Amino acid sequence: MKKVVVLFAILTMVLSAFSITITIAAGAVGKELEVLYEQVEIFSKENPDITVNVLPMPNSSTDRHDLYVTYLASGTPDPDVLMLDVIWPAEFAPFLVDLTDDYDYFGLDGFFPGTVASNIVDGSLVSVPWFTDAGILYYRKDLLEKYGYDVPETWDELYTAAKDISEKEGIEGFVWQGARYEGLTCDVMEFVHSFGGEIMKEGEVVVDDPEYYDNNVAAITFMDKLIEDGVSPAGVTTYMEEEGRRVFQNGDAVFMRNWPYAWPLVNAPESPVAGKVGITVLPKGPEPDGRNSATLGGWNLGINANSSPAEIEASKKLVKFLVSKEQQVYKAVHAGQTPTLIEAYNDPRTIEANDFYADLLDVFLNAEPRPISPIYAEISYEIQVAVHEVLTQQAEPEEALNNLAENLKAIVE
Amino acid sequence: MKVKGTYKRSDIWLAFWLIIPTLIAIGITAFYPLGQTLYDSFFKWSLRPGFEREFVGFQNYINLFQDPRFLSSLWNTIYFTFFSVLIEFLLGLVTALILNADFKLRGLVRAAVLIPWAIPTAVSSQMWKWMYNDQYGVISLMLYNLGILEEGTPILGTPGMAMTAIIGVDVWKTTPFVALLLLAGLQTIPNELYEAARIDGASIWKQFTSITLPVLRPTIGVTLIFRTLDALRVFDIVYIMTQGAVGTETLAVYNRSLLMDNIFSPRGLFGYGSALSVVIFLIIGIFTIIYMRSLNIKLD
Repeated sequence: MKKVVVLFAILTMVLSAFSITITIAAGAVGKELEVLYEQVEIFSKENPDITVNVLPMPNSSTDRHDLYVTYLASGTPDPDVLMLDVIWPAEFAPFLVDLTDDYDYFGLDGFFPGTVASNIVDGSLVSVPWFTDAGILYYRKDLLEKYGYDVPETWDELYTAAKDISEKEGIEGFVWQGARYEGLTCDVMEFVHSFGGEIMKEGEVVVDDPEYYDNNVAAITFMDKLIEDGVSPAGVTTYMEEEGRRVFQNGDAVFMRNWPYAWPLVNAPESPVAGKVGITVLPKGPEPDGRNSATLGGWNLGINANSSPAEIEASKKLVKFLVSKEQQVYKAVHAGQTPTLIEAYNDPRTIEANDFYADLLDVFLNAEPRPISPIYAEISYEIQVAVHEVLTQQAEPEEALNNLAENLKAIVE
Repeated sequence: MKVKGTYKRSDIWLAFWLIIPTLIAIGITAFYPLGQTLYDSFFKWSLRPGFEREFVGFQNYINLFQDPRFLSSLWNTIYFTFFSVLIEFLLGLVTALILNADFKLRGLVRAAVLIPWAIPTAVSSQMWKWMYNDQYGVISLMLYNLGILEEGTPILGTPGMAMTAIIGVDVWKTTPFVALLLLAGLQTIPNELYEAARIDGASIWKQFTSITLPVLRPTIGVTLIFRTLDALRVFDIVYIMTQGAVGTETLAVYNRSLLMDNIFSPRGLFGYGSALSVVIFLIIGIFTIIYMRSLNIKLD
């Protein structure tokens, strides 16, 4: 008996000498954090030599950014695994481990190409897609039916249906994210792309390029018209995701642009519109350049370059585990977060828990990234300011876009 | 040095040694960062790895004064400071005079008045943001009902109105603090002064202008300095309510954006942000000196 105890003690000592502790920064929106703890527990059982600490982060993406800035600028080796918003890899690339050689290790061929592309900076892979997001259109099935409208395929159809139904019902027509913050950039990109416009292309400013200019103007004019004609409340200029969702979920709007996270919420038993809501792709712009477009959102996992080689190895194992099919399905079922691995959508468990995923697979597959640039924050700020000035009646679309072109060119150089 | 006669040499040395930790702490936490910021402001550089630090002299400062975003945030800050401090001071003075009077439950009222000031700014800003909401906001509803505002007007999304709304929140939050400071000053005025004035037949207004105001002058000075310095670096209310949209961006909000959003920018904005920090420091310093001079406040 004594021998066994001694042996066990020696074994633990040997193991602990080889064991390693890593830290992962994690979000806590909805059930995200709870699910991550469960996942980490499974991982620890499979890898007894690795201890994983979970470091919860603020919900707001901006606040997380501010925290990462302080961690990375100070050169601390913790956290080892960083959860990154899709727009950050270019900015944080110098602080992240180059994962280009691990492309096959993570099995990235099976992922949505757009999500992988958003992690490639100057030809190097710096992070791995964890879960994805894309803008979608929520509509009131019951109201469209009542007034005899089909699900809108173009922005003009949406405009007509929203205006008519909202006037008859005494509610709002279409709510989206119009406050001056990152969400506005997402919405603007969708309007601009769906009208066949473009703001940046391959790092060049193309706002005022003759090929895109008219479509850009048309897109911004349309956004402005939504507000001026009362299809969208003037208040959208102060709405972020949650403000719009409250209005829609309360039954006070016909259409809403939002992310998939709102789906379980608007259908929750206590929601006044539960069962009355449908989702679809965002509408197309007018012919000939019009197309459907959704802005790519979501989060990636990167590894801190200041971590020790052993910690980096352990972190890679954790990342590979978290983005594996089994864990993406687990996350989709338990936290409602959309997988980045295409295969995960065919799993019966995913389909059962989120039956709407099947309809949106195309949306996720074709979601378009925002400009990839180390000065993304500045580019996005200029876009927000220019469009918000139009929406709050301080500038005309042409004037705002000309200024935007000038300002972007000055910062991109 | 008067101390020579009264203290032993060893006592002076002891005092010196005792004060050293404090001096070191102040040096590390106040002067070192200040010096570092000043130094950084002469360079074009970024915390991005591999970025070559480039000495640019006063270029950051020159650029700053040609930057429309800086000029508008400077103007917004001054506008915010002027109106919020003015209104807070007048309301605070009235409140202090009322609280100084004798009435039942005076203690309770004094404590109750302080509640807005006791709520953390981040919390009250969010609360007010909801009250200003175009659909569910109670303030919006009241203004719609009174016919002052057209239904559906987003208060925080309308140029001009947004700044007024933010000043309103600051007034709500800080008036109690101003009242408290002024009340403390009022209580140092001996009652005999007023009694003597009454016997001489001075009106209430005369008593106010000839006794209350002059005696209160140092307190008013300190109050105005506190409030002005606070208002000049206003950040949380603006950042939470509008992120600086529709003409509400203040210097501190702009500075956060330069130093946090763009700290790793290959454009080297860290030095530029440092220059803005120095300018904010100078503006606050100048205001302090103006106040101290005009109100004859001595530092010792």
